[in-house]
Amino acid sequence: MTTFAIQGRCLAAPPPLDWREQLARMLGAKPRRIGNWAELGMYGALSCLADSGEGELPPDALLMLGSQRGTYVSTGQVLEQMRDDLPMPLTFLQTQPSQLLALLAAQMRWRGHAGFVAGGTPQALLQLASAQCGRAGMLLGWVDEMDGGSSLWLRLRPCEVSGDKPVVASAESMFSLDATHLYVVGSGAQAG
Amino acid sequence: MNPIHLAGRGLACSLGLSVEQALATLRQGGSQASQVTLPGAMAGNYPFQGIPYSQADWNERARELVQRVAAEAGAQPIRDGVLLIATSSFDIGAVERCATQMDYQAFADKIAAWLDWSGRVHVVNTACTSSLNALLAAQALLRSGAAADALVLGVELDNRLTLGGFAALQLLSRTASQPFGAQRDGLVLGEAVAALRLSTRDPALWKLAGGANVVDGEQPTGASVRAVNEMCARALADSGAAADSIDLVKVQAAGSPGNDAVEAQGLREAFPVLPPLVSLKAAMGHTMGASGAAEIALLTACLEQGVWPACGHEMDAELGVGLAPAMPQNVRRFMATILGFGGSHASVVLERA
Repeated sequence: MTTFAIQGRCLAAPPPLDWREQLARMLGAKPRRIGNWAELGMYGALSCLADSGEGELPPDALLMLGSQRGTYVSTGQVLEQMRDDLPMPLTFLQTQPSQLLALLAAQMRWRGHAGFVAGGTPQALLQLASAQCGRAGMLLGWVDEMDGGSSLWLRLRPCEVSGDKPVVASAESMFSLDATHLYVVGSGAQAG
Repeated sequence: MNPIHLAGRGLACSLGLSVEQALATLRQGGSQASQVTLPGAMAGNYPFQGIPYSQADWNERARELVQRVAAEAGAQPIRDGVLLIATSSFDIGAVERCATQMDYQAFADKIAAWLDWSGRVHVVNTACTSSLNALLAAQALLRSGAAADALVLGVELDNRLTLGGFAALQLLSRTASQPFGAQRDGLVLGEAVAALRLSTRDPALWKLAGGANVVDGEQPTGASVRAVNEMCARALADSGAAADSIDLVKVQAAGSPGNDAVEAQGLREAFPVLPPLVSLKAAMGHTMGASGAAEIALLTACLEQGVWPACGHEMDAELGVGLAPAMPQNVRRFMATILGFGGSHASVVLERA
């Protein structure tokens, strides 16, 4: 069993009404033509990192992102554009979930291992990420545009401490204010 | 830590519907790219390396190719293992034909059902590096003991979105892919379905020694020199290999004017003495998310059977690198690299067991 301490979080589901203004303040300017999904992701990731108190993500940390439907809105727009012409280049880029990884890396002035996993559950994402992350831990996010949008992020560091009564995690318990640790076992993730 | 063996491989690409067919086509000098026509401002014909397999129904064609390739890799006995599907376009070709809705989980479930897969399934999308990142994830799971077998399945099939997007970004060649070539003018995209079966139980000729992925936001649609350099250093460290122990590097080099130059400079800086280089892009096109798995499947077979991809174009002398005209002798360890959208730079090291 691997234990992770939750060192920071952003639980924006849905995000606050002024999340775009908050994002613009964090970036120093309004983001330009990166798409709503990527903006949501940046808002959550940067808020989470700020909550952790870390000025920057360590280079050997893992950045892992998941989503139920990802860039489906931008993809629909591109398919519409392609009925009688090529897509707009920047709109096409918005269909690529990995663009968010590059945007985050640039904003955090960070270079390291990052990935996007499509579908599944946050628990499955955590299981996969935990096998790949080292002592610097990970920044793990789950971002979707449906139902008003959600941007759920955790800054996790491996630790020795274990909680009293870990319970099998649902997405709700993983991304709750009550959880202080996450436990990854062979068959799934647990929260405590 | 048990070695992670490349216990099986399967491939369908423009060169053929199996590894053996692809080798046979390579022996004969390769295949001719077909042409696709795109509308609008960048209208015209573009070469495209499609899989020579016709089937009107997109889903049926995908199912048949996936099942064929998985069977070739010997996936049937490990269906309770981990399946890592690597793709940049999912089943968008079917969405374009109104044959399905865009839904990540439905795509994963569909492929798992085609393979009668009962184990864990993950879908990895890091654009062109998807297969190599799936391979790195599989390696981590096998190293940790969480699984003993894994199948990395790269799937990149016909769709207008990818072609149109690349054309809109003016990344496509109108003629041919010329990796590191003096006249290179862009990529030629291709289709592939490729499977790599990894096992800590079944010994095999090749083993996965390690690898690394480095995301750099400096250039979201291309490569950066410092990230190529760092990727090589991290991949070597993870593999426990020294730079001078690499006998061959399979490069990304797809014929892009900018990216090829960046990769060449990064490699020159990472390797005090540059090993021989090979690119498979001219032979099979750039197969995006499937390219890592497809090129490893083909390259390992080439090395085993003494087949080498022809390289008929003139090299760009200003890059300071070139492709090996013939197979290097005694390749015991090689590095395979893919660079992609999202600032992703991924590399793995394979060595003879």
